Order: sequence, then C-alpha cells, then structure tokens
Amino acid sequence: MRRRLGNIAVAAAILALLTVALLGLDRGRPSGDRAYALERQLRCPVCTSVSIAESTSGTATAMRAGVEEQIAAGRSDQQIVDYFRARYGDWVLLDPPARGTTLLLWALPVGALVLGVAVLALRRTARPDHGAQVDETDRAQIAAALARLRADDVADQP
Amino acid sequence: MSTLLPAAGWTGALLGMSASLVLAVLGLRAQRTPSAVRRSQLKMTVLCIVVGAVLSMGALEAALLTDDFSMSYVAENHSRATPLLFTITGAWSALEGSIVLWTLVLAGFTLLVLRQVPDTEDRLGTGALAVMGVVGVFFFGLVTTAANPFTILADPPADGPGANPLLQDHVMVAFHPPMLYIGYVGFTVPFAYAISALLLRQGGVEWLRRTRRANLIAWTFLTAGLVVGAWWSYDVLGWGGYWAWDPVENAALMPWLTATAFIHSAVVQVKRGMLQAWNFVLVLATFALTILGTFLTRSSVVLSVHSFTRSAVGPALLVFFVLVVGGGFTLFALRGERMASRSRPESLSSREGAFLVNNLLLSLFAFVVLLGTVYPILVEALGGSQVSVGRPFFDRMAVPLSFALLLAMGAGPFMPYRHASAALLWTRLRWPLLVASAAAAALVVLGMRSVGAVAVIFLATTSAGASVRQLAASVPSRRAGALWRLVRQQRGYWGGQLAHLGVALAAVAIAVSGGLATRASSTLPLGEATTFAGYTVTFDRTEQHREPDRTVTDAHLVFRTGSAIRHVATPRLTAFDNQPQSVGAPSVWSAPGSDIYVALAQLQPDTITVNLYRYPLMSWLWVGGGVMVAGGFWALSGRSPRRRTGSGPVPSGEAPPEPTGQPTPEPAAARDEPVDA
Repeated sequence: MRRRLGNIAVAAAILALLTVALLGLDRGRPSGDRAYALERQLRCPVCTSVSIAESTSGTATAMRAGVEEQIAAGRSDQQIVDYFRARYGDWVLLDPPARGTTLLLWALPVGALVLGVAVLALRRTARPDHGAQVDETDRAQIAAALARLRADDVADQP
Repeated sequence: MSTLLPAAGWTGALLGMSASLVLAVLGLRAQRTPSAVRRSQLKMTVLCIVVGAVLSMGALEAALLTDDFSMSYVAENHSRATPLLFTITGAWSALEGSIVLWTLVLAGFTLLVLRQVPDTEDRLGTGALAVMGVVGVFFFGLVTTAANPFTILADPPADGPGANPLLQDHVMVAFHPPMLYIGYVGFTVPFAYAISALLLRQGGVEWLRRTRRANLIAWTFLTAGLVVGAWWSYDVLGWGGYWAWDPVENAALMPWLTATAFIHSAVVQVKRGMLQAWNFVLVLATFALTILGTFLTRSSVVLSVHSFTRSAVGPALLVFFVLVVGGGFTLFALRGERMASRSRPESLSSREGAFLVNNLLLSLFAFVVLLGTVYPILVEALGGSQVSVGRPFFDRMAVPLSFALLLAMGAGPFMPYRHASAALLWTRLRWPLLVASAAAAALVVLGMRSVGAVAVIFLATTSAGASVRQLAASVPSRRAGALWRLVRQQRGYWGGQLAHLGVALAAVAIAVSGGLATRASSTLPLGEATTFAGYTVTFDRTEQHREPDRTVTDAHLVFRTGSAIRHVATPRLTAFDNQPQSVGAPSVWSAPGSDIYVALAQLQPDTITVNLYRYPLMSWLWVGGGVMVAGGFWALSGRSPRRRTGSGPVPSGEAPPEPTGQPTPEPAAARDEPVDA
C-alpha cells in the first residue's frame, strides 16, 4: 500500500513539474529574428552550399540588405521568398518546395517511414507460437539441459 | 633529383595490387578446398600487401620531406616553404595521396583479419581474406592508374604551389583525415565476412562475432573523425557553425548511421537470433555508402565547401560502387533468404523491440540524408532543373528522427528481453523521469524559452539518469571494487551506456547552442566599440606577422565588462604567397558555459566587419563526442572478445551470482520488480 502511494506521489510530481515547464514555455515564446530565419532559407548564389545568412561574400551581403529592406517595407515572408525565386529560380531555395521536381524528395521519406512501420507491425503479428508445440517430455529435457548449463556457468566463474 | 622515390612508390603500389590479386585467388581457393592452400602462403601474401602499402606511403612522405619535385604529387601539392607538419600531412591533403593512405589502412585491416585466421580450415576467415584482396586490388589499382601520385616529371619545377590553403592552416589536418579513413576502411572487414558467410551459405552469429572488433574500431574512429571534423569546421571555416549538411559531411554521416544501426542489430542477432538477413543488408549498405561517399566527395558531381579535388577517379569509384551494390545484393538475394532467421519479437515493448525501433529510425535517417544529398544530382542528371536541398530540409527531417532516437535511447537499454511490462519500465524510469522533469521545470522557471532545448534536456537527463540508476541497481555491493568489476565484466553494455551518455551530452549541446544562440553583425572603425552579450567590444588594432610562406593579419577585438578586460579576440586573415585565396580564421573563446565566436566578414586597415555569435554549451558537443569515443574504446578493450561478443547485459534475472562469500544485498532483480506487478 505504501509502495503504491509512493508511486502515485512520484507520478503526480512528474506531471506537475512537466505542467510547469509546458505552461512556462507556452507563455514566453520569443518572436524570433524574421530576417535571419529568411536568410537561412536562401542559398548564396556565388558560394558552395551555404545560405546567405552564413556567407560573407558581397552578393550575400547585398541579398541580406534586400531581405531587410523588404521586411521594413512590410512584405510577408512568402512575398520575399517569391521575389528571390523569381530572380534566381527554385535553385535559390535551400528549403525545397513539396511540389514539382522536389515533390518526391518529401514523399519518399514519408513512404519509407510507412513501409518501415508496416514491416515492424507485420513481423510481430506474423509470429508463430512455437511454445504451444512443445510437449511435456521436451520441456523436462530442456529444463534439465538448462540446469546443467547454469551449473557449468557457475563453475566457470573465477 | 632522382627518379628513385617515384619508382619505389609506384612499385609498392604494384606489389600491393598483385599481392591483393593473389590473396583474392588463394583465399577463394582456400574457402573451396582448405587443404589446397597453406596458411603460410596467405601470410606471405598479406605481408606483401603490407610491405607494398608501406613502401608507397613511405616513398610519398620521403619525397615530400626531401622536396622531390620530380614526383607529380609533390610538384602539385607541396612547396619548399611549407612547414614540417603540413609537409607530412600533405601526403593526404589531395586525392592521390589520400588513396595511398586508404591502401595503407586497408593493408592494416587485412593483417588484422589474417591474425584471426588460425589455419585454412577456417573457411569463413579465408573467404573474408579473399574479399579483402578483391577490395585491395581496386584501391591499389587506383594508385597505379587513375590516382597515380608517382608520375615522374621529365622537367621538374623548382618549387610548387603548396596544398590547398585550408589544409595547411590547422593542426587538425593531422588527425581528422586519418581517423576518418580508419573508420571508412574499417567497414571493409564486416563486409568481407558478410560476403564470405554468404558464399559459404553459413548463417549464424560466427561472422558477427568475428567482425565485432573491426566494426567497433571503425565505428569509434569514424565517430572521432566526425566530431573532430565538426570542430575543425567550426574553428576554421568561420561561417559560424559546425555542421552544414554539406555533401562531404553527409558522406561521412551516412555510413556512421548504418554502422550504428548494425552495432545494435548485431546484439539482437547474438542474443535473440533475430534480424540475420537484416544484418547482411546493413553491412552491405554501410560498405556501399563508404564507397558512394568517397565517390561523391572525390568527383566533381557535387560542389562543397570541403571538396578539394576533381578527378578521373570518380568514374572508377562509381563503377566499383555499382559492382559492390549489384554484386553484394545479388548474392544476398540468392543466398540470404534461406539464412533469414525465423524468430520474431514477441512484443515491441522489449529490448529487441527497442532495437528494432532504433534500427528503423537510424536507417530512415541514413535514407533521408542519402536522398537529400543525391537528389539534386539525380534531378539535374535526368534533365531537370537545378534544385537545392539544404539545411532547412535536413533539419526538418533530422529533428523528429533525433527526438525519436533519444526516446528509444532513454528506454531501450533498460527494458528486459522478450517483454517489458509497464510496471517494470515505470520502476526503472520513475526516478530518472522525476529528475528530468524537475530539471526541465527549473530551466523554464529560470527563463529558458526554447522548446527544443528544454525537450532535449528532458530526454537526455532521463536517459543519463536511467543509466546511472541501472548501474546502481546492478551493483551487487556498495563497494567501489564491485562497481569497477561490474563495468569491467560487461564492457559491451557499459561501453554502450557510456556512448549513450556521450550522445545525450552532444544532443544537449546541439539543441541548446542552436536554440539559444545570439548573433550580431557589426562594422567598427578603429577604436570604436559595440556591445554584445553583455560585453563592450572594441576594435583595438590590427597586427601583421610574417611567416615563411604566408602573411597573417590579426585583428584585435577587446571584450570588456566595465573597464576590466575579459578577453582579446584575434580573428585573422592569412594570405599565402603562392595562392590567390586568403583564408580567414575566426576566433573562438570557449568556456564551459558558452562560446563567443568572432568571425571576420571584412577587414580593412581602419574598419572591420565582424559577425559575433554566442553559443551556450557549445563545448559540451566536443566533450560528448569524446565520451562517445571513450564508450567505443571501453567496449573494445575486453581481453577476450569472443566471449563478450555483442554483449548486452545478462538480463538481470540470469546474472551470474557473485562468487565471493560476503553477504550480498538482495539481487537487482528483486529490487526492480514491483511487488504488486
């Protein structure tokens, strides 16, 4: 009985602490740096595989200025991204859209996940029940063999 | 200038190639009819391979050290003014030399395989030697043909341009590539045993037992190579991060993921006789991914911040990759089915169930990284437009997968085999969960607002706490000696737990440094100041230093609180005399709590533009990596690998009793099981 009460107390404490954490997190979401978030999605055209946020090249600096100007002018994230896409093509998007040539890129991982989960689930239910086919004499033999093995194991110990 | 060294190097590679060919033939013959081949013949052949590889590498180093510009590699990648350290590391700072290093490491692993083959009756071993020989023929063949560094120049230049500037600016070039190569090449051994077992139609765990050592060596070094590489990139490249999801980084990450999956699934096969066919798949995939990774990074198909070469080696590697994948999986398809294990897990809520989930997640992770890396290449090759797959895609895929992996890591090792009841899991996890939720609540109350960081800290604390609890519960007595004996007797399990602790530390570092980073960009005239992260930062002066082959310009930025000087950051710009490209290096001020990272964007005599970053807990990532490597070495360090192979813990109910006569407290199992379960 005391053990059960202890368990309940621990569970309640865990739940209470997690609630405190979740409420706190929910209250104070920082607004985030919009310009930086956008800059990290745009590929630097003159560099190798880095975003304009990370590049120190002149082109990237100019593009960063462009992002900040457009934010100041009150344009939405989508409008700003579209602006750069119109100028440089889809290539400039480090975050490929889930359509057209990059649709498969998003679809394949999802497909692989579904396949994997299905295999895991099927493998488990397809289990034949070997235990039912073992009769009493077999069980006795197995038990005897196990006992011998265990005895050997103990004898092996230094 | 003589032609001695190039000739010696090339002869070594030729010797290695011929001996590898002989080894392949002898090994296959021995596997078919053991009496037809003597072990001494195999031994002589392997020694010839080793001698050939050492001769090649030795000739290359000797030519670099003696400024022998009649050797093509030296003429292209060395200069007289290169300092000694970078002269030595010059042997692997370009493509041809790195293939020579590859052959040397491969020769070493071939020797390791030979040592495990007591006589030719060991058909699994002789077959594995044959496969090592086949792989050796390919790589030694590359050195003698497409990647030949030993071409003799009729008209040697008086001096050369030196290596890529990025590769002669940091001491890590001496450690990172060799570690990575030991990791990469090491996966040849499990591949060799797997193919040998398939050829023999021999299932079972024998091939797994025998590859455990090499596989763990490879995994440990690849882990070390990845972490050191991330640190190098952070410390040198100056874009403010350590991991860019760049193709070259991905190439090293993919085999690491599948190898990590294999380490876990091998345990399932050894302990529960499951996943036999799957283990073949993982081993074939890991080896194929190392070849594919080398192809991606050593040919011009991808542009990357670290790809240092373009060469004709690419097509050869691609052909080899196709052969490995085609040959390996065909053999597997023909032979694998009859070897597939029949047993199935009884419940997903069990140790083997957790291992299955772990394997699914790690394989999915590897698949996503592979897809993101090759997708742009495939789209372009198929005539489509140019597309980019960058950090946002990888982050979006990797973050949920990593959370799920942390979750599996937190619970899996503490589940028993067969079936874990909810009551038992609760008993084993309630205290860790309590500590972790207290930590999460405390951090939120103290003002931490990043959901990701808090969640990762919660999961990592649970995992580490559960590990400590398990250790305390498994120790038969409260004395330090008993603890020591426990972690020494079950090196596989406790090495694994140590590696998990490293993963937890690294995960916390990644989440916190990413989620709570602050950054600013600032242009300062000389003598002016800005504020960042509570410091007043003043651009004090610049200094020039002249070194034999380079001019280094340091900028001095003084960090003050009040009037007290806390730190002087000196990001620098290095101009090499015979390279057009200057190399900027950031300045990193590391402390256990957080790093202050200062990267140069522009440096003029009287103004500076810098990017300033503050990364909390950044240094924990390197510590976590070190702990993972330590876990790998601990698991490796056992004296009799055959007995401890693939060990997880003995399930606590079957734990061997303590042999001493001292009074032992109630056994772990009794304390673990709730009375009312």
